[in-house]
This record gives sequence, C-alpha cells and structure tokens, in this order.
Amino acid sequence: MFLQVVFILSALLTVVSAVMVVFTRHIMYAAVYLLGSLIGVAGLYLTLGADTLAATQLLVYVGGILIIMIFAIMLTGGQDFMKNSRKSFLQVPFMGNVKTYVFGGLAALVMGSIGTKLIMNVADRFSEHSEMLSYQSTIEVIGEALVTDHVLVFEISSVLLLGALIGAATIARPIKKQ
Amino acid sequence: MIPYNFDVFMPVVILLFVGVAMVVVALIAAKIFRPHNPNKIKNQEYECGENPIGVAWSVFNVRFYVIGLIFIIFDVESALMFPVVTVFRRMRDQGMGGVVLIEVLLFILILLAGFAYCWRRGDLDWVKSYKRPEGESK
Amino acid sequence: MEHTIVGYFLQFEIMKNLVEMASSTLGFNASSIIAFIIFLTASLILLLIAATIGGLGTFAERKISADMQMRPGPNRVGPYGIVQMVADFIKLFLKEDIVPVNADRFLFYIAPILAIVGVLGTFAVLPISSGLIISDLNVALFYAVGISSLVGLGIFLGGYASNSKWSMLGGMRGAAQIVSYEIPVILSMFTVILFAGGLSFGAILENQSGGPIGWYLFHNPFTFIAFFVYFIGILAETNRAPFDLPESESELVSGYNTEFTGMRYAFFALAEYMEVFVVAAFASALFLGGYKIPFNIGGDSLIGQVLQAGMFFTKVALIYYVVIWIRWTLPRMRVDNLMTLCWKYLTPIAFFNLIGSAVWIYYFGNKSMWNLIFS
Repeated sequence: MFLQVVFILSALLTVVSAVMVVFTRHIMYAAVYLLGSLIGVAGLYLTLGADTLAATQLLVYVGGILIIMIFAIMLTGGQDFMKNSRKSFLQVPFMGNVKTYVFGGLAALVMGSIGTKLIMNVADRFSEHSEMLSYQSTIEVIGEALVTDHVLVFEISSVLLLGALIGAATIARPIKKQ
Repeated sequence: MIPYNFDVFMPVVILLFVGVAMVVVALIAAKIFRPHNPNKIKNQEYECGENPIGVAWSVFNVRFYVIGLIFIIFDVESALMFPVVTVFRRMRDQGMGGVVLIEVLLFILILLAGFAYCWRRGDLDWVKSYKRPEGESK
Repeated sequence: MEHTIVGYFLQFEIMKNLVEMASSTLGFNASSIIAFIIFLTASLILLLIAATIGGLGTFAERKISADMQMRPGPNRVGPYGIVQMVADFIKLFLKEDIVPVNADRFLFYIAPILAIVGVLGTFAVLPISSGLIISDLNVALFYAVGISSLVGLGIFLGGYASNSKWSMLGGMRGAAQIVSYEIPVILSMFTVILFAGGLSFGAILENQSGGPIGWYLFHNPFTFIAFFVYFIGILAETNRAPFDLPESESELVSGYNTEFTGMRYAFFALAEYMEVFVVAAFASALFLGGYKIPFNIGGDSLIGQVLQAGMFFTKVALIYYVVIWIRWTLPRMRVDNLMTLCWKYLTPIAFFNLIGSAVWIYYFGNKSMWNLIFS
C-alpha cells in the first residue's frame, strides 16, 4: 500500500504542477511549479524501483537545470519579471484555433482515461499487498552496462558534453565592441 | 544485484513530509502568539534607513549564467560517473581493470579538455582582468 | 527490511511478538503497518534531534567564539547558559512576521520550506550506528547530494522573493557559490567511492576500521588530499565563513536573510546549522571511519550500538568545532577569490585525485599504503 500512496502523491504532484506551469501568469511561479513537477517525476521513478534514476533526476534537474532556468529568466526578463506579464492562456496568439482544440480534446481524453484507471486501481488493491515488494538495486547494473555493453554511449556522451560546454561558453560570451 | 525492499524509501518520504509539516505547523502556531501591527514604514524593504530607490534588480551579470552553465555540464558528467565509479573496483577484481581504467580516463580527459578551453578563454574569471589590453577578445 | 532500522529492531523477540499480536488482531499481515509506525516515530525523534542540534549549534557557536575572543559568552540563562537556545527560540517565535509590501508572498512562504526539506531529507541516511541507520539506501550518497541542492534553491528564492537589493545580491551569490562548490565535493566523494565499491554507508564503512590506520584519510595520499578538498567544499556549501558572502554581516546587512523575520528566519538559521551537522557527519563517515570503534569493542550488541553512536557524535562534534574555529579565525573571501578558488584550484586538484585513485586501484586494488609498505 505504501507504493500506491507514493504513486498517487507523486502523480498528483506532477500533473497538478505541470498544469499550473501552463496556466500561471507569473513566470517565476512557473519555474517553482516546474520544481514540483520534477520532484513528482523523481517520486514516480522511486515507485518503479529505479533508485539511480530518481537520484540522477534530483541531482541534475532540481540542482542544476532549475537554477539555470531561473538565472535565464532573470537574464532575459529585465525589469518586467516582477509583474504578471504573461498573457493568459487564451490571449496568446494562435492558441484559439481548431488545431489547438483538437489536440487539447485528445489530451483531455487520454488524461481522463488515465484518471479513471487510477481510481479503479486504488479501489481495487487497497489491501492486497501488505508485504513489501522487493526490487533490484540498479546502480551496479547500470555501471556494469555503461562500461561493458554500452561503452560507446558513455564516451559519446562525454563528447556531447564537451560540445555543449564549448557552445554554451561561446554563446554566453559578451559581444566584442568594435 | 542485491535485492532491496521498498521499505528503504519509506523513511525518506516520511521525513520529507514531516519537514514540510514542521514548517507549516510552526508558522501557523506562531501566528496565534505573534503581534500583528502593520505600519507603512515597517513594511518597506530595508535600505539602511533611507527610502528604497528604484527596483531591486537593475543589472544582471552574465557571469552568473556562465558559471551555471559550466556547473551543469560537470553535474551531468558526475551523474554519469556515479554508476561507473561504483563498479570500478569490482570490474578490476574480475580482471577488466585496464579496459575500465582507459574508458574512465578517456571520459575525464575529454571533459578536462573542454574545461581547459574555458579556462584559457577567460570564462572562469569572475572579473575581467585589468592586465589585459582593451582590444583583446575575451 | 534488512537495510533499515526496522530490520534491526525486528531481530529482537519483543518486536516479533508484537508483530504477531498485531497481525492476529487485524486479520492481515501487519508487518508493514508496524514498519510505518516505527518509521514515523523514528522520523519524529530525528526531527527533534535535528532541531536540538540546530539549537545547540547556535549555542556552541556563541560559546566557542566567546572563548576565542576572551569573553564569557551567554552564561545567565541556566547553568553555563545552555538554556539560551530555548530562550532564543521563544524570542523568535514571538516576533512579528513582517512581509514587505512588494515582496512575493508565495515565494516568501516557500523558501524556508525548501531549505528545511533539503536538509531533513539527508537525515534519513545518516550513519549513526550499524543498527540505527534509519535507511541504508543503496544510493545514499547520490541521493544526499541531490537533495541538499534544494537548500541552494531555497536560498535563491528567499533572496529573490524579498525584492530588496541586498537580498537579491545575497541570493544570487549564494546560488552561484553553492552550485560551484558542488563539483569539488562530488569529485572528492568519488575518490572514496572508488575504494569502497558502493554508495551506501554500509559499504563505505565496512572497509574502514576503528583505529586511525584503517580510516580512508590515511589510506593513500589521494584520499588524504581529497579530505581537505571536501572540507573546504563543504564550508562553502553551507555558507560558513570564510565563504559566508550570501549572508555577510558587514556587507549586505544580512544578505538573503534581511527581510525574513521571526520563525522564518529561525528556519533559515536552523537549516544552516543542521546542514553543517549533516556534512560533518558525511565527512566523518567517508574519511574518518564514522561509527567504527577501535578493536570493534561490543560488536553488534546493544552496548556496541550505544558505543558506536557515541563515537559518531564525538567525531561529528570534533569536525563541528573545527568548522566554528575556522569561522572565527579567517576573514571573509572576496567573491572573485571565492570563484577562482573553486574553479581554478579545487576542481583541478579534485580531478587529479580522481585520476590518481583510479590508477591506484588499477595497480594495487584496495590495499592501503600501509599494506604496501609493511608487507
């Protein structure tokens, strides 16, 4: 039952935060709701037994990407980020046409069916598993795979990071005034 | 490949909720005992006794952003290295020590090359050095 | 269940009888409900211990700094002034909560919560003794580093939310500092993990023995240097002097703390002192042998657990004393010196340690220097 409770809480956190990211007007609040969403995803990884992935999510996303995003908001917002300067969902141009509504309708259908399944799942399995399930710890498996079977991925990722580092440093450099 | 129970996560989740609950309960409890006398001058931000002038954030320094970018690259690198250093000793005991050593060294050296590039181009400096002549590119 | 405190308690006959009794009254297997109750109690006790340690930290800081400056320190409230921390807490509890008019209310509320949650999350994996470790996660170190980055986010949002120039600068500098110094800290941890072969504290501590020869500090020169890199890194991570620019008392009034009053300020201060305790505990577990007693006196019995917990708290107290000592001895660093120290000195040294340790493991396996010299 612990797993069900954690799953419902994490899923709620993820979905509600994601919805709030889209619908809120203040851009800093959107970044904070994104934090909630990313923590919810880490919780979802926990329920699947992927402890390495959950810890990676916390370290990279929460500790790094979110801080970068907030720095970027401050860099590009100027004086306006303190006010509610984002337009509401329906006022943004090209948001009210047929494509959007069709896509939105399909997404609502998918979410509705997932929600129904969730509720039925909870009602079903309330007292089934009272013993704790077991999972295999993944960090050693991933480590072995990264150096034996998937070593090319490992090395290419380092080259990718090198490219990102040089590209980011070049783009963020101040422009030479000539 | 040690089997673990999901029990090991229970204290983590409980402790996170207890932490949030502690702050919320303490603030609500304190609300009962606190005085509440708002006053126009008390509610201003503190600027050494004068009235605050201007908005709080006037100029953003791009070097915060550059430091953040370099950090994120090394953060992803360490997240990738965590599983590898965990199995390094075991791989060496199984006889694959040389191969894994070369892979790890290759990974680190490629990133160190990028780090050296940033160092040389001055991205790691916090302030522009006064010794450099004005026309040199950064 | 084996890797948690519940697994330790279930060894005793009393607990097994209790579980059977509960199962028979409730109808289904009650072991997980009992586990939940034990975890909840342990978490609440841990919360109490954490708050006490935070309070003792403030008291210890005032007394030790007074001792170094040849003055008595707080000595009126209770014997030797030890009730001072209760008096401080009551004072902060009763202060008025002023939220500036132009501040961001939502972020103002959230910032202390993020700071406290970030620190309390790491308390779940503290290696207090071999049986009393609350949860012996397999990825304990990885998880602890990840969740303590929430504290940096809390500081940043606190500085931003106050809408005051001092706070904004303090918050930005705090975030940049915490974020930069995570790299040498993680790389120093890698040096130890290479030798330990695992990320859980059980794996790290089973290779160290009680006497100083067995500690990872004296295992080989690379871990020796890594300890000092780690120590400087954690001074910067927790915003302790000489790296306390974000809350520098003479420059920025009080940095990101400026507009927080009463209990909100108490939570930020508590988070800082608790975080020093946690990183000192990790330093002692990684490099100084944690809870291990020389010659393994007491073994795994109850007496042994108590002795081990005592050893743990002693080592952490020693490191805490050194952290406070450094604060009142060294002047504050300038922000560009701080960044230069991190990126141009500590990170290359940490990489050098990592490469050296990897080569050491390849040639010598897990043998320490003493094994090589004396055999």
